[in-house]
Amino acid sequence: MKKKLICAMSAFSIATVCMTGCAKNIKPGEIDGYDEGEQYLNIWVHSIEETPEGEAYRDAVERFNKAYNGKYFADIEFIPRNDSGGGYSDKVNASVLSGNLPDVLTVDGPNIAAYAANGIIQPLAPLSDEERNEYLDSILEQGTYNDQLYALGAMESSVGLYYNKDIIAEAGIEIPDPDDPWTFTEFLEILEQLKLVMDSKNGYPLDMTFPVGEASIYYYAPFIWSNGGDFVSEDGLIVDKIFNSEKNAYTMSYFKGLVDKQYMSAVPIENLFESGRAAFKFDGAWEVNTIYQSYPDVNLGVAPYIVGDDWDGGNYTPTGSWTYAASSNTENIEGATELVKWMSGVESGLMLFEKTKSLPSTYKAYEQIDLFAKDENYKALYEQLRDYGHPRPKTPAYPQLSSMFQQSLENIALSGKDAEEQLDKAKERINDKLERYIRG
Amino acid sequence: MKKRRSNAVMGMSFFTPALILMIVFLFVPMLLTVIYSFTDYFALSPDNTHFVGIENFKKIFKDELFTKSFWNTVGFVAIIVPLQGLGALGLAILVNKVAHFKKYFKVAFFIPVVMSLAVVSTLWMQIYSPEGIINTILGHLGIDAQPFIHSAKQALPSIAIMSVWQGVGYQMIIFLGGLQAINPALYEAAEMDHASAWQKFKDITLPELKPLCIFVFITITIGAFRMIVQPMVMTGGGPSNSTYTLVYDIYETGTVNWEIGLSSAMAVVFVVFVIILTIIQNVLTRDKEEKKK
Repeated sequence: MKKKLICAMSAFSIATVCMTGCAKNIKPGEIDGYDEGEQYLNIWVHSIEETPEGEAYRDAVERFNKAYNGKYFADIEFIPRNDSGGGYSDKVNASVLSGNLPDVLTVDGPNIAAYAANGIIQPLAPLSDEERNEYLDSILEQGTYNDQLYALGAMESSVGLYYNKDIIAEAGIEIPDPDDPWTFTEFLEILEQLKLVMDSKNGYPLDMTFPVGEASIYYYAPFIWSNGGDFVSEDGLIVDKIFNSEKNAYTMSYFKGLVDKQYMSAVPIENLFESGRAAFKFDGAWEVNTIYQSYPDVNLGVAPYIVGDDWDGGNYTPTGSWTYAASSNTENIEGATELVKWMSGVESGLMLFEKTKSLPSTYKAYEQIDLFAKDENYKALYEQLRDYGHPRPKTPAYPQLSSMFQQSLENIALSGKDAEEQLDKAKERINDKLERYIRG
Repeated sequence: MKKRRSNAVMGMSFFTPALILMIVFLFVPMLLTVIYSFTDYFALSPDNTHFVGIENFKKIFKDELFTKSFWNTVGFVAIIVPLQGLGALGLAILVNKVAHFKKYFKVAFFIPVVMSLAVVSTLWMQIYSPEGIINTILGHLGIDAQPFIHSAKQALPSIAIMSVWQGVGYQMIIFLGGLQAINPALYEAAEMDHASAWQKFKDITLPELKPLCIFVFITITIGAFRMIVQPMVMTGGGPSNSTYTLVYDIYETGTVNWEIGLSSAMAVVFVVFVIILTIIQNVLTRDKEEKKK
């Protein structure tokens, strides 16, 4: 009988252990380094701890705790994203419901508007001009929603129009100055010129695809902006006559022209550019490192991003990455802002570059890294980011806008559907998602 | 009496952990899904949730993308169920017949089942790629390169065929078990009567396997309806949404666009549909059995 009772008890206790969540309420002394008199700040990051990126975050927090010893104590928690990008965002969503958000959390650049519009994050405490001026304009722009600064990133990103120097030289083409990029029309002429050269190499002038996911809007939004178009109104709530403007329809048809004239392959071919069978490729800044490490035969250059025929010189090139923001749960916005500034600061950027090769977010960091002065390709990417960087559209319905842009692009450029009709349809779907913000 | 009661306590104590876990992770979420489906629950602002009646359901049935993903899913089911069911039966019969290397064939056909779907999908992206193995073979046969997963027309069948390849081994093992359970005396008797191979198959093998067939077809059908990983990895639902499935739509709506309410309503519609289909399948198969009697 006693035995049975023990059995029953143990079965029950297993159940209770499974059921009990861990409610945290940390007091000074409970964690190594958290002392009496310090203000406790917790921070969530979207990465795995045992990766170079995770180590850089851990390192930054440890330096913060040293620098602010006696005043603040930051406690970092790693919540990895899973394959499909969930995990971290699921946890954030669940915590919005339960009210358990940390003081500081990482937010992907394009999600800042949605998080701000839904009151998940709050504006940072005011930064001095000196502090603001440390950051690239694109970082400040990305973090600003409705004229308030919500988030700062330690990383920036960029997309380059890469070219194969040998092929370009063979075709006798001159790469223009960064302030005088090829226009849509000029680029078509260049591609026409390259077509014969590339046909003989069993390749294409352009290695280009319209992939599902974030890449399409990230790579090709500059075509929209530099052609005088846009995606959404200033406040991020109106897409009508903006997303589906005539100018955008024209830009979308431009992509169709690239496919129709076979300047690019309609189906993605792997490593076209890397194997020397394409003259140009649009890809993230990481491509430079990939080429250097894995394809030393490719003689790589970075050309300025293409612009519309009537480009007014405005900012247009791709940017954006993960940022730090203060949650609306924090009662210590001063402390949270200090932590955000620290995590996105020069030192953090340098460390992240060293460990992951991601582009830093502050001018000083670029100045301290030799590569950006010496290597012409890294230098070109930095200057493009510094001079022409444009954050992705800022709207609370960003996920819908991004996928609608990709779908329209695919339908128009690859399936040959009518541009205006597709953009109208896409606009309707984005409008559906914006409804909740407009009525409330 | 006392013993019986203590047995009951004992039983309950073993059952309770499972029950609690099932309540927490299965029954409560199911109930919540039904409740959420009548609200405008938005993951980023849960405090603003209101009951909206059947608004979500109206939206779903007006939604072109949902309709499209519904028909895509039906398309997957229509290709996968017959191919995988008959393929498994055919393989089982063949493997059962071979005299040598029986174990090798069993393992070889079963390996894809054990592999992760994401891995299999990535592998097949290479196989289907414009310069991949299939197109190279086609090239040698003088056939033009096919776009496969990069074309709106071919993507769905391409993914469906890959799924059949991946899943067929599992049902083959089930059929193989069934085949080996058939009394050899039946075949011996048939041989005495000079029955042909086809007659033996039609009049002995098939009727003996019938209960298994029903089980196999229902599991394949439900499996095919749940299609999400393959299109997610291989095409992202494209090109032009041609491989966007119901479960994919539910996932995207709920996690990417944060609309838990709408996504719950989709899930409810999906479940109702699968239940109806299962009932139809049950009724159909029951009828046949009764007719036999």
